[in-house]
Amino acid sequence: MNTPRLNWILLIVYAIAAAAVFLAALFLPEFRPIAYAPLRELLIPPPAPIQVSLLYSTEKEAWLEEMLLEFEAARPQVNGHPVQVSTQKMGSREMYLAVLDGQIQPDILSPAGSLQIAILEELSADKLGRPLVRQSDPAVCRSPFKTPLVVVAWRERAQVLWGDHPNGDFWKRLQQALTNPEGWAAYGRPEWSYLKFGHTDPTRSNSGFMTLVLMTYGFYGKSNGLSEGDILSNPEFQDWLESFEGSIGEFGDSTGTYMRDIVAYGPSKYDIVAVYEATAIEQIENARGRYGELFVHYPPATIMSDHPFCILEAEWVTEDKRAASTLLLDFLTSRRAQEQALLKYGFRPQDPGIPLDQSGSPFVRYQDNGLLIDLPPEAELPDGGVLETLLTFWIRNIQK
Amino acid sequence: MKSSFHQWFSLAMILSILLTACGGVLEKKITVQMVYGSEKQEWLQPLAAEYNQAKHKTAEGNTIVIEITPMGSVESADAIIQGTIQPTVWSPASDVYVPVANDEWRRSHASDLTPASYNYLVLSPVVIAMWKPMAEALGWPDTPLGFADIAALATSEEGWAALGYPEWGGFKFGHTHPNYSNSGLVAIIAQTYAGAGKQRDLTMDDLNDPDVQAFVADVQSSIIHYGTSTGFFAERMFERGPSYLSAAVMYENLIVAQEAKRLSGASSQLPVVAIYPKEGTFWSNHPYIILNAPWVTEEQRSAAQDFEKFLLDRPQQTRAIELGFRPADPAIPLTSPLDAQHGVDINQPQTVLEVPSGEVTAGVQALWKQVKKPVDLVLVIDTSGSMKGDKISSARTSLVNFIDLLDDRDRLQVISFNTELYDLTELSVLGEKREDTVRRVSGIIEGGGTRLYDATEKAVQDLTANGDPNHIRAVVVLSDGQDNESSLRLENLLAELGGTSEEGGNAIKLFTIAFGGDADQDILRQIAEITGGKQFKSDPSTIMKIYSEIATFF
Repeated sequence: MNTPRLNWILLIVYAIAAAAVFLAALFLPEFRPIAYAPLRELLIPPPAPIQVSLLYSTEKEAWLEEMLLEFEAARPQVNGHPVQVSTQKMGSREMYLAVLDGQIQPDILSPAGSLQIAILEELSADKLGRPLVRQSDPAVCRSPFKTPLVVVAWRERAQVLWGDHPNGDFWKRLQQALTNPEGWAAYGRPEWSYLKFGHTDPTRSNSGFMTLVLMTYGFYGKSNGLSEGDILSNPEFQDWLESFEGSIGEFGDSTGTYMRDIVAYGPSKYDIVAVYEATAIEQIENARGRYGELFVHYPPATIMSDHPFCILEAEWVTEDKRAASTLLLDFLTSRRAQEQALLKYGFRPQDPGIPLDQSGSPFVRYQDNGLLIDLPPEAELPDGGVLETLLTFWIRNIQK
Repeated sequence: MKSSFHQWFSLAMILSILLTACGGVLEKKITVQMVYGSEKQEWLQPLAAEYNQAKHKTAEGNTIVIEITPMGSVESADAIIQGTIQPTVWSPASDVYVPVANDEWRRSHASDLTPASYNYLVLSPVVIAMWKPMAEALGWPDTPLGFADIAALATSEEGWAALGYPEWGGFKFGHTHPNYSNSGLVAIIAQTYAGAGKQRDLTMDDLNDPDVQAFVADVQSSIIHYGTSTGFFAERMFERGPSYLSAAVMYENLIVAQEAKRLSGASSQLPVVAIYPKEGTFWSNHPYIILNAPWVTEEQRSAAQDFEKFLLDRPQQTRAIELGFRPADPAIPLTSPLDAQHGVDINQPQTVLEVPSGEVTAGVQALWKQVKKPVDLVLVIDTSGSMKGDKISSARTSLVNFIDLLDDRDRLQVISFNTELYDLTELSVLGEKREDTVRRVSGIIEGGGTRLYDATEKAVQDLTANGDPNHIRAVVVLSDGQDNESSLRLENLLAELGGTSEEGGNAIKLFTIAFGGDADQDILRQIAEITGGKQFKSDPSTIMKIYSEIATFF
């Protein structure tokens, strides 16, 4: 009879099919939902990784995601345990307030600037009796790169407003044009309608905060020594700032959106936006062939967004987590990571050995759009108290 | 024994394979409903189908099913607030109406309906579409044009003759109904800004300024009719040509689509160009808004985000360019057909208007209602014997509802017909006779034959004799059967209706409703379309909705 032979054939076919399903479930992730899960779990016990949680501001998202993939692909370990990184995005100010309140307990904090680390260090020392971060200690706080605040504008319009070289009265001229009820008509260009300037909300975004500090310096025509008195005791300054900011329709929370909007909507939406240099670099190619030529201007004094990565000095950061976090910091500040940040994302590496004018660098490619290798002087970062005063003034008198 | 072992083994193997396959059989679905502005239908519909086919899954393992429904942008906001629709995603044509929607929503909720920030799918500026020779007569492309030029032309006694083109007749303008459609709403906001000579900070005081009101009234005086759908306007304008409409407010992408058709030989119309109003305009930016509403679950939210990511991906964005949209992602270059050959200028617009607050937007809508062009309307209703039962009762209720939608300033005549023709009320101002008219309409009863052609002819003749050519003039005919008693023949009626087309867009327009299965849809379509109007199909369950849609034309 044929039956036993048929059964043998069936048996072999089924055995092959079952083995295929089993193997596929082991090696192909897309097969797992339809495989028999308990068996797989028994065969491959789940690893016991060390989880490092990283809270970061979004401007560096694309670079960070790429670097984290590389980091995990290198299978880093601490005492035989694999290191895994979990991330969460958050606004720079929101971030330090959440950590200070204990709402969130990350192992590493990376706001847009040292500005926020300085404030957290001061506020946590006051509140907890010891600082949660130590900015000055390179073992726990390191920055891979920096990018200055710049002002991006349509070249023709910027020329009318500032001439060829913006100088000391950069912010004052901008304020005058913005508050002039005739708008561009006062400059002989009625077809451009009124002037439209955009920067982010200083309470939610670091670039808006930096812009606010630079405007304040701009009013006083200085780049250091800003005091609380400058903000609180000078009605002339207060009126100037209020009408400056009053000319802005709304304050968004993402710097990237401003740059995308000036490219996508053209001068119909913004004549001028205040953004990071790296944000401008990301979009400048896209602006070609539309509306006109976008040009990057450097204010007479600028401030850096330096994206520090700081390991927290908190009880939830265990020895293992600290060691794993240090591995991550080493990786993120490595020469390769810094070079990637320059070549692909337009950040300025902290390592002076990496030249900005190397081939493939955006600083070479976009020179005609106003990018400078040598920066104008940096403005002094006012201390935490002055910064808080300025922000509070803004919240009370300007925030809509 | 051996064979029995084999049989058991085989059974076990079959069971194991079936069990592993259960994942497929027991597939669970998560549905994401999306209500969207119909302008992007051609782009979105195939993409939603493609997305569904790929069976994307949520983290919970459920298959995402996207269900999309086109709806007027203003109308959909109102429906969400009233709770008649509960979508996960709302994607109107622009975010102009978002402040109003949030104001309304906050009356009964603690937070806004929309999140503080959201992404945009595709972009297209709101423009004035005008026939190229007409635009050139106005000085285009060297002279910037805008609503001020429209107002001047609209109020000029001579129309195009003032510019040396008497053969073009009067200036005829169109935009959709601001209470239903985004382009209509932004059109009246832009007109109000232009009247106030502003580009931002439009206030309630501006709306009370008699000069501003006069300006908006001037522009409105050249309107041929309103409507719900921007696409319908574009279709009518490009199909019927310059005698029907000189210019209309629409989206840039519709011009690109028409020019592509013309260049390929599929349309023999004159070329059409986009005028970017010099006073400023708005962008139609198609926001993708995942609602902050109690009915949206976390899983729906993440499923909606997944679909959003798909729509913003490069291949999908590139496809939008082919349909005349500008991609939301600036990394995608603006290539053909976004060029001068297709009537558009990607260096424009240079000025946008500030989105007014919810209060001011509502104020602009109220101002428009006050100064809009009134309608002289003849309602013609079939009361033949076949209307008995559901039909006559639903017709009565929906007519009463329809009359409610008309303004006091509008003028109304009502004719009922069976074997005879009856004037229930003659053409006169509705405000003075509203109650009486509603009473008469509520009392209509069925019986007798169907003199459809005679009744239609009478309506048009009465309106020609008594209507004001400066008003929108329209006839709305409802019929449920074939004409069987008219002395007039169809050919003669059509010839008569076609004869009025010298007036182009300002001619009397017929809207016909084929009511129930026995109505002759084909004849009713011919009667409507020869005048530039529209034919609708309806039954007792949808008649209310159809009358409401017709009301948006006035």
